[in-house]
Amino acid sequence: MKNTAKLICTIVLTCAASLAHAQGDAARGEKKFEDCAACHSLTAGENGVGPSLAGVIGRKAATLDDYRYSPALKRSNIVWSLQTLETFIADPQKAVPANRMPYAGMTNAGERADLIAYLQKMSK
Amino acid sequence: MATRLPPVDIVIVGMGWTGGILAKELAQTGLKIVALERGAPRSTQNDFSVPLIRDELRYSQRHDLMMDVSADTYTIRNKPSETALPMRRLGSFLPGEGVGGAGAHWNGVTWRWPDHELRIRTKYEERYGKNFVPADMPLQDWGISGPEIEPYYDKFEYTAGVSGKAGNIKGQIQKEGNPFEDPRARDYPLPPLASNLASQMFAKTAKELGYHPYVRPTANASQPYTNPDGMKIGQCQYCGFCERFGCEANAKGSPHITVIPVALRNPNVELRTYTWVTKVLKDSTGKKATGVAYVNVLTGEEMEQPADLVILSAYGLSNVHLMLLSGIGKPYDPETQTGVIGKNYAYQGGANVTLFFEGKSFNPFIATGGWGTSIDDFHTNWNFDRGPHGFVGGAYISVGGSNGRPITYRPVPPGTPQWGSDWKRATAKWYHGALTIAASAAVMPNRYNYLDLDRTYTNRFGQPLMRMTFDYKENEHKLGRHSADLVNSIARSMNPASVIPASARVEPWTVVPYQSTHNTGGTIMGTNPRNSALNKYLQSWDCHNLFVVGANVFPHNASYNPTGPVGALAYWTADAIKRYVKNPGPMVQA
Repeated sequence: MKNTAKLICTIVLTCAASLAHAQGDAARGEKKFEDCAACHSLTAGENGVGPSLAGVIGRKAATLDDYRYSPALKRSNIVWSLQTLETFIADPQKAVPANRMPYAGMTNAGERADLIAYLQKMSK
Repeated sequence: MATRLPPVDIVIVGMGWTGGILAKELAQTGLKIVALERGAPRSTQNDFSVPLIRDELRYSQRHDLMMDVSADTYTIRNKPSETALPMRRLGSFLPGEGVGGAGAHWNGVTWRWPDHELRIRTKYEERYGKNFVPADMPLQDWGISGPEIEPYYDKFEYTAGVSGKAGNIKGQIQKEGNPFEDPRARDYPLPPLASNLASQMFAKTAKELGYHPYVRPTANASQPYTNPDGMKIGQCQYCGFCERFGCEANAKGSPHITVIPVALRNPNVELRTYTWVTKVLKDSTGKKATGVAYVNVLTGEEMEQPADLVILSAYGLSNVHLMLLSGIGKPYDPETQTGVIGKNYAYQGGANVTLFFEGKSFNPFIATGGWGTSIDDFHTNWNFDRGPHGFVGGAYISVGGSNGRPITYRPVPPGTPQWGSDWKRATAKWYHGALTIAASAAVMPNRYNYLDLDRTYTNRFGQPLMRMTFDYKENEHKLGRHSADLVNSIARSMNPASVIPASARVEPWTVVPYQSTHNTGGTIMGTNPRNSALNKYLQSWDCHNLFVVGANVFPHNASYNPTGPVGALAYWTADAIKRYVKNPGPMVQA
């Protein structure tokens, strides 16, 4: 009984977490995108220090023809989904060791959710 | 035979901070502008990306982004009686080369030099009398005042994305800022950077001693930032590869990510890289520049670029060299003290103490270029009485920590062997436990510190090298002793396990090791064509359609790093040139 309660509790919390994840606020995320904007554009074909993020969601990592990716990212076989982006943005070097993005990571889960919601909106 | 190119309205020589600011601002006039840069094109994505840029040997030790001394260098001596010899390897200072210039690989420290520096002669005479300034010190007012240049400091700080805390907004002293600074209209565009343990310990001790510590302003962005031109600057990642490196994260205010791309959006602005300007051309009267001669360094082709207006905006020393090579203005002669080109060359002084603490971990590998905590009680503080000390100028004192890189950063206490297993053990032990308190001291002009053309040595194009005659004089020695005593006494108050004490420099200046890239003077601004090369708008007294921008216009070197006024004066001159092109002629009557 106790275990069941714990299990339910865990399920509820997990759902709440993914709900929060799904409910990231794209408007707040647009503001948070300032963290990325010195290197990344949301215009297709406009690569800066980092590759364009236009249509990033659903794309396989390291597949834009006109951007030079790190070998690490090419080997990663990641497809950018809400979940893989969340993991990557939280700690890029942990997610894909030796990738070339010089960014320490976004530690706040709520901010990550907002940012991803914005990227999702802009990917449509 | 040089190829004569179609004429343009404005030619800009050198594409770093000053050339970039002038190109961006003057693009608005619609005039046809050609910018010539002797070095390579540079961008963050192609030149500064990780892991490439984190190569300490290539960039820090072998100076990959700096001036190539096999093509052109300086001959060096301490006094006129010596024979100058060419500097074959960079050391004491590191001029930039390539698009972005030294603005690509600077640390970011951005100061506002106060009114009492700009009106230095007047201020010292008012306070200490006519005899306080020694006869061999050609100390001069700049021709501008603090309030005149304030809006231009603001423009530069907002362009470069400076992080800091104002100390005086419109006369109101601000908590946590530098209380001695001149009044400013508003705060810095970004809040201060995170501070490190070493800076916090210094701030605490300084406060206990009655000083006024504040976080040093610097163009390393504490937050993501969009500047007034819409250019995006990223947040600093504290990677510790700042000075001598380009920033991989676009987080250091640099011309190649701000003013230069803005300028190049305009169809009337063209940038030509690998173009080495050898001379400013003049008409038969010698009173008007007609353009420049340059060499395409990739092909060896010689070109002439006619222009109605010439702007020299290369590294300060290169600007002086070009003026001497072009025969514009009378070269300075230290014996007769006549002539103006090459006059008032100055540099930077100072004294450092290194402290070692048991059980502290300063994590020096987490670092950014200009961060740190400073006190200005002995520099910007005009109430600091120089009278008893008998010197002009002052020193600001800081604890920073721009890097903990493996080749450069190996602090060990006195008495440690210089090699072998004991040295290895000591470097491992003290890597985390050392901090340095640094005094950055002013250097005042002296009649025997100057720049002219060498009689013996030539550069790649057969032109005479520029000769630098420089040494620290009595004023610098007095200031050095004062600074050393001061930092040693602050160090004692911090109770370290051991120290390498600061000592005032007594030996002559040499080109090794690295000291600072704060070379100033040579074509100075001023109020009078008899003792300055340029008027207050940085317009040549001799050729009214020639403007010269950079630290070479400073009549003396204050304690502060030079880039703040270099950027501000570039904006100031851009405004002047916008007026000039409508009504060409001398903007100040001689």
